[in-house]
Amino acid sequence: MFKLKKVSFKNIIDYPDMEIRSNEVTFICGESGSGKSTLLKLLNGMNSPSAGEVLYLGKNINDYNPITLRREVLLCGQSPFLFDGSIRDNFDEFYKYRELSPINASDILKYLKICAADFETTAGCGTMSGGERQRVFIAICLSFCPKVLLIDEPTSALDDLTANTLMSNVKEFCKNNGITPIVVSHNKTLADVYGDSIITL
Amino acid sequence: MNEIIALNIWQFALVYLLLFIVLIIMKVCKINQTKLLLVASIRMTIQLVLAGLALTYIFDNPRPLFTVLYLLLMTGFAIYTVLSRNRENKTLNKRFKIITGVSLTATGFLIVGFFILVIVGVNLFNPQYTIPISGMIIGNAMTGMSLGLRAFNENIQSNKSQIDTLLNLGATPRKILLPFVNRALETALLPTLNSMLGMGIISLPGMMTGQILSGTTPMTAILYQISILISICSVTCMSVFCTLYIGYRTLYNKRYQINWL
Repeated sequence: MFKLKKVSFKNIIDYPDMEIRSNEVTFICGESGSGKSTLLKLLNGMNSPSAGEVLYLGKNINDYNPITLRREVLLCGQSPFLFDGSIRDNFDEFYKYRELSPINASDILKYLKICAADFETTAGCGTMSGGERQRVFIAICLSFCPKVLLIDEPTSALDDLTANTLMSNVKEFCKNNGITPIVVSHNKTLADVYGDSIITL
Repeated sequence: MNEIIALNIWQFALVYLLLFIVLIIMKVCKINQTKLLLVASIRMTIQLVLAGLALTYIFDNPRPLFTVLYLLLMTGFAIYTVLSRNRENKTLNKRFKIITGVSLTATGFLIVGFFILVIVGVNLFNPQYTIPISGMIIGNAMTGMSLGLRAFNENIQSNKSQIDTLLNLGATPRKILLPFVNRALETALLPTLNSMLGMGIISLPGMMTGQILSGTTPMTAILYQISILISICSVTCMSVFCTLYIGYRTLYNKRYQINWL
């Protein structure tokens, strides 16, 4: 699905050549500062490599319309932004930005459940913890059903039980819906359990 | 109507005594801006005397070139002031600065031209009308512009995470950034609109007061004042709109990436 050839970013990070296959869970592991989050941004075109090339489905990423690419390769950052207001408001707002009509409450609940976010759709996002906000945001991302879902440290703020529930639910949902998840995590155990392949930077 | 009383230079000098009161109050309140008060008073005096001399010369020798030069100088200084007031402004990149200058010049000249040629109906190079009217129009455009650019930058900087998240989600930069443009335009317009509310009741504006003092009938002065207020409102709106509406596109590149400084 993705191929990196001699990619480097601003002469700070040189990435090894790598291939990320579709329909399997890829974990990207490495120490802080090894360029994990930057790699995700290279994959969805938020950053451009200063040398080398990133191929997506055999085509250079620069040849894609950036909006089309980002809608197919969705990036869920580590501390995503949520609007003030309820979960429902957030779904509606993000759908508006994507020029889509809103989805109904039972679908929202379904996605929240997948992400181990046990909330009503009326719950306010303003008072949520960082981990809760990220799970709500992963639920929003999943609901868009992208081709690739890039998730940055989804479990860093979670206890083991919640982390495992989230990962196994997300993995299953992605498998059933043809989504390729690429997960950045420094949690090696999690990567061993859920990753089909692991890239260490 | 009484005739105009020219100020006697010695009587006039007494007005500077009022500054001593300001100075004393500033000392009592421990406001450490004595130097600013001094510099501001001196600069104001020198600049106005120079302007007075220049205008006297231009009125005695009315040549189109002088009017044009005066106008250009004024516009240049207005652009410089807007940019220097926004020195810390990180969204104001080089292209954005150029757009700012061009917008201020284009909309300023357009409104000045409309006012002089259509509303007043005199020659565009008539210094007696063009110079003071442009001063008011361009000066107000400058204030609105500084305000609008600052509001735009502050909102963008404090909402970086929102912008990044939405970009990651595949929203178009236009959809993401236009609300910021709209909000900044509103901020820039509000003072002008609010001042229009109080006109005639709370304040008799400077232009009208000046005309009445120099013997114009109040009704004529009012017509001028209304025209200038509407012109100021529209020049502020147009210049800020053009700057931000064209300028926001300089924040991202062809790959729709934003280079945060």
